[in-house]
Amino acid sequence: MATHALAPGTQTYSRGTLYEWLTTTDHKKIGIMYVINSFLFFLIGGVLALVVRTELATPGLQLLTDEHLYNEMFTMHATVMIFLFVIPILAGLGNYAVPLQIGAPDMAFPRINALSLWMLPLGGILLLSSFVTGGAAAAGWTSYPPLSAEGPLNSPGAGQDLWIVSIVLIGTSSILGAINFLVTIFKMRAPGMTLFRMPIMVWTVLVTSVLVLMATPVITSALVMLFIDRNYGGHFFDPAAGGSAVLYQNIFWFYSHPAVYVMVLPAMGVISEVLPVFSRKPLFGYKAFVFATAGIGALGFSVWAHHMFTTGAVFLPFFSLLTFMIAVPTGVKMFNWVFTMFRGQLTFSTPLIFAIGFLTMFLIGGINGAFSASVPVDFALHDTYWVVAHLHYVLFGGSVFGVFAGIYYWFPKMSGRMLDEGLGKLQFVLMFVGFNLTFFPMHMLGVQGMPRRIADYAGDAGWNDWNLAATIGGFMIAASMLPFIWNVFVSLRNGKVAGDDPWEANTLEWATSSPPPPYNFDHLPEIRSERPLFDARHGRVGH
Amino acid sequence: MSSTPRKRPAPDALVAGAVVAILIALVAAVFLTGWGSTLYPPDAATSQGREVRGLYDIVFAFAVAIFVVVEGLIVWSVLRYRRKPTDEELPVQTHGNNLVEIIWTVIPTGIVLFLFVISWQTLNTVDAVSAQPDIRVHAIAGQFAWQFEYLDENGNKVATQLAPVYDTDTSLGGMAVPVGRSIQVTLDSPDVIHAFYVPRFLFKRDVVPGQTNRFEFTIDEDEVGQVFRGQCAELCGTGHRAMLFNVIALSPADYDAWLRALIEANNATPAPLPSGPVLNVAAKNISYDQATLSVPADAAFGITFDNQDPPGVLHDIDIRDGSGRVVADQQTIDGGTKTNYAYDPLAAGSYTFFCSIHANMTGTLTAE
Repeated sequence: MATHALAPGTQTYSRGTLYEWLTTTDHKKIGIMYVINSFLFFLIGGVLALVVRTELATPGLQLLTDEHLYNEMFTMHATVMIFLFVIPILAGLGNYAVPLQIGAPDMAFPRINALSLWMLPLGGILLLSSFVTGGAAAAGWTSYPPLSAEGPLNSPGAGQDLWIVSIVLIGTSSILGAINFLVTIFKMRAPGMTLFRMPIMVWTVLVTSVLVLMATPVITSALVMLFIDRNYGGHFFDPAAGGSAVLYQNIFWFYSHPAVYVMVLPAMGVISEVLPVFSRKPLFGYKAFVFATAGIGALGFSVWAHHMFTTGAVFLPFFSLLTFMIAVPTGVKMFNWVFTMFRGQLTFSTPLIFAIGFLTMFLIGGINGAFSASVPVDFALHDTYWVVAHLHYVLFGGSVFGVFAGIYYWFPKMSGRMLDEGLGKLQFVLMFVGFNLTFFPMHMLGVQGMPRRIADYAGDAGWNDWNLAATIGGFMIAASMLPFIWNVFVSLRNGKVAGDDPWEANTLEWATSSPPPPYNFDHLPEIRSERPLFDARHGRVGH
Repeated sequence: MSSTPRKRPAPDALVAGAVVAILIALVAAVFLTGWGSTLYPPDAATSQGREVRGLYDIVFAFAVAIFVVVEGLIVWSVLRYRRKPTDEELPVQTHGNNLVEIIWTVIPTGIVLFLFVISWQTLNTVDAVSAQPDIRVHAIAGQFAWQFEYLDENGNKVATQLAPVYDTDTSLGGMAVPVGRSIQVTLDSPDVIHAFYVPRFLFKRDVVPGQTNRFEFTIDEDEVGQVFRGQCAELCGTGHRAMLFNVIALSPADYDAWLRALIEANNATPAPLPSGPVLNVAAKNISYDQATLSVPADAAFGITFDNQDPPGVLHDIDIRDGSGRVVADQQTIDGGTKTNYAYDPLAAGSYTFFCSIHANMTGTLTAE
């Protein structure tokens, strides 16, 4: 078998481990720190969600008698989860996996990579500091003006400004990361790694990076205009002075709808790695999958106004049609995943279980999205708990289950140790049951008329039971993090040694040691398909 | 059965098939029993809402069918194709199949195009507004209260309802409309974005500052006497969850009487001030101009209240005692108007005066 020798240009530094990690430009260490940083913010966002759920458990104001504080809680929950958890943790998994999967020694711009990472905790600390500087932003993560404008009943104080500054900072981190990914993927692939031999994970990161690059500057412009409105008397979004409140929504969602795919495509990439490996079959319809990913990316830019159907300022048929159409490439992916398992030989290790969790939950998140594409139905469901259910089935049932599939899948590569299977399955069961107990009842609350973002509801509205169930489920999700944290803790010390390729996997990251050396590969196997390691193991039987 | 080694033994398929069948039965049971009815919207009270409900039922049927098929395939694959200890040989390495890719692209495309077309048709009914509606109501949503202006056919205001919530004790308040008549609502906001949402209408529409939105509804004849709950559905600040209103369905005759009474109440001369002391209080920029008030104990007193905020911003001056019990509940007034409030005698002590719409507007009232 031919091998390609790579020249390791490493030096060894005799500095402390902490200094080594804080100053590293190694994409693997940066990727791991992305994941750890994001996970910490996941815990913070989770606590905020529990505060919200506790308040809503029963009618009446119990925990947050100051309703402004309630508004701060759900605003910061969503902001932290979206900008400081889901987006960066997927960027972290991509950061770790992409150079390895394409046979590159590192990202194209290692120092910019480190900069992207360190902007995240900075942005996060700025955002959270608003809690102790007069109150956090409380206008929802969407921060629609005029509510987010300066004013006694709108958004007085520094919280909203800190929110704007930190989102701009985090957005800049995303843009730098996207450029880095694109250059890495286009310029640093190993010999033989053609575009159509790249793992789907790499494809999803590629499409995600294009989305980030095209969309994030747009939300930055909206936020800068909002900042000017708030602080320097601008009137971009002030109807009283000739501005337009709906203009902000158009700009905001032009970013934030593609951002949904930024939050879910890499998770689709993860499970597209996991399902074939644990089914002992290639991914069904590789090229269809690539085209579907690109199609979702392209359509993702033409559906933004479906968030605005009730504003009375949207050309409804266009956005309705395209929103319906985006279900098609998503459905293609779903069928390809299922047919990957079909007639395979499934091994139910934790990564596969989380991937199946993704399939079953994302299916619901996709189907209940079609309700909102139907404009008249959206008139009934918009801004109710139905939407909360929908977005959590996509972003939690989809993305977060995908993230954990990825963590269980790559942890052996990152650390050299296996995570414990029993604890992993315990986590899955708690998370799966807790998730459905929390979010399925929100469908009922939504169709029965409970609006989002209310601190309290009438005791005779018929919403009590479902709210209580959702709160109990929320605490189950929180409990599911305990076995995970314990699992990481004990497995790093006593976990089974992983070896290079514990899963009999397909892609290049498993061709090097666990953890890989700083320069990634001593030598690479021959790359003749999207499964170079499978080819090395089995010859050409699969082709 | 075939004798190729890759074929699974039949019991495995039976178990997988049985589980899938049980799941389908469960889903069916859920939707055929009362438990599943919570996944449907409440019964529509308007002719427009009935159209939405009909559409919802079609979308829902497709959703359940797709859910059962795909979830069934997933469950089937998971149960049927577990790796056995005897599975050393690789399964067939299927890379894909263009025919099935085309099938599962074309069929979903057909389904979503169908759903789009019927949605569009329904939209044209639900969203239609006529030039000559029977009743015109101008709803103004300000932080954090609704008011409803009743307009004549030329769009001139004939009466204003400042109490948006129906009070079952006094049978006052709320937005009354006749059943069987087309009601056109125009929506305006003086401050932030709100949304007019009545769950039983299966409808909501944003109230956007700087833009007048408009919609129509006709309440079914058999809903006469019903009081529908509505509330703001777009986050509008601290008082968002308390921005409630009711729509009251009356027979046309009762509605005419109701409107006459409202016009009369609007035109009534303000209550005369009591003989006791009279204070002057103004409200501007969502705050009172005074933080403390002082009145004699055990004597009636009055307040001349000047709401200097813009129209659409409602205030009043209510009083609660140290235990939080409301001891004086006054009618709210619109921005740009004045009124006289008469208060019954208070026992000596310290009280809080407050605006019932804006939680941040409070002050201390001392009776001594």
